[in-house]
Amino acid sequence: MVLILWLVTVPLFGISAQTLPALPDVLLSGFNIWGDLLDSTIYTLTETFFGFVAGAVIGISSGLLFWWSKKAEQMLLPIFVALQTVPIIAFGAIVVIWFGNGMVSKVVIALYLTFFPVAVNTARGLERTDPELLKLLRSFGASKFRIFRTVSLPTALSSIMTGLKIGIQLSLVGALVGEWFGDTRGLGTLLLQSLYFEDTERVWLLILLLGLIGQILFVLLSRIEKRYIWWK
Amino acid sequence: MTYLNRALLPAVSIFLLFLIWQMMVMILDLPAYILPSPIEISGGIWDKSGMLGSNVTVTLKNTLIGFLIGSLIGLALALVMVLSDWAHDLIMPVAVAVSSVPTAAFVPLMLIWFGLGDESKVAMAALAVSFVVLLNAVSGLKSCPQGQINLLRSFGASRLHVLLKLQFPASLPSIMTGMRVGLSRATITVIVTEMLGAYSGIGQTIYQATAIVDYVTVWAAVIVASAGSLILYGILAGLDAKFIWWR
Repeated sequence: MVLILWLVTVPLFGISAQTLPALPDVLLSGFNIWGDLLDSTIYTLTETFFGFVAGAVIGISSGLLFWWSKKAEQMLLPIFVALQTVPIIAFGAIVVIWFGNGMVSKVVIALYLTFFPVAVNTARGLERTDPELLKLLRSFGASKFRIFRTVSLPTALSSIMTGLKIGIQLSLVGALVGEWFGDTRGLGTLLLQSLYFEDTERVWLLILLLGLIGQILFVLLSRIEKRYIWWK
Repeated sequence: MTYLNRALLPAVSIFLLFLIWQMMVMILDLPAYILPSPIEISGGIWDKSGMLGSNVTVTLKNTLIGFLIGSLIGLALALVMVLSDWAHDLIMPVAVAVSSVPTAAFVPLMLIWFGLGDESKVAMAALAVSFVVLLNAVSGLKSCPQGQINLLRSFGASRLHVLLKLQFPASLPSIMTGMRVGLSRATITVIVTEMLGAYSGIGQTIYQATAIVDYVTVWAAVIVASAGSLILYGILAGLDAKFIWWR
């Protein structure tokens, strides 16, 4: 529906191509460079994927650590919450110095961005376990691991999934912006080039494409959530 | 757990972090372009305090203006959407579509539209904030129990009255959550936008310092930017805790 609106308004109000190019032109410009586009999409998605997976694994493990040890949580969780508000992207330049100009540096940025929401959501989800239920299980002599497996983890999973959904979108942003620090491939690079050439059609094309990718990644995770976390 | 403990433990771990950092740099003898020591960075902040201060002020000012505009837009749209189903069906798909695009993708567009000055940063901040606030406000406004609405309605309250007296206060915690998330996103977005094109601002400082391989200044600017965004966030969280006591 948004697309139809776009299709109609541009010729109707005579908006200049500089501001908002007509939808057919945008799609046509994409058709002309579809090889480049596909190559860049695969490149950026690979960065996003590895960064996301690594960030999710480390994030969930630290969430578990917080749940296991209250000391660790008291020491580290406030820092994590604070770090979430810190402009992480500003570190992009430094990450590129450390890990070079290739794929690794983008994976690291994506990892870093994914890590925080996943860790915080895992810890909060595990804490939300019904205290009555915990008391009951403990009074029956259940071990900590057993309580974790049968009660805490299942309750926390939906919160973890929320963290993962935020994480995957941030991971995509991380990969994109990471490419701005001097990569020669990827969708972020294309975006930067179209800015330098003031190619508004290309910018809109990339916005559409990235919106589509973002939506697909989100839907993918929601599907997994619905399929495996049916008790929510 | 005592209050002192709560404040002390993170402080201790931050101190430890800096200590390990400082020792690592000294023992491994790392050059500044890999990792400057905290002492070097503090020196850098001290030396360039005037330049860093004025740039971070520009960044925070643009963030704040964009944040206020974005919050107002988000809130106003949410109120309209709750009052009219027709508006809801019209705006919601647009909001979902726009918010599924990574915000960073809009940066080139805003720079082309609004130029290199402050306007493009304010616009990006407003964009980053408005949809988060909008989505949170709508879900907050709708979460009000129907029974309470019906009660007020049966006493003859108008729909607008119910919205202002019941639904709006009830949804404020959710709106504030949206604003908090929005504020930290806005700061990051403004800095990223400044990196790609600006006359001043801390993002531009970082970009230029990177270009001339002055990594102590990069770190100093990153730390100052982080501190600035933490202060903004702290103020908002403080206002939240003070004025929205009924959560």
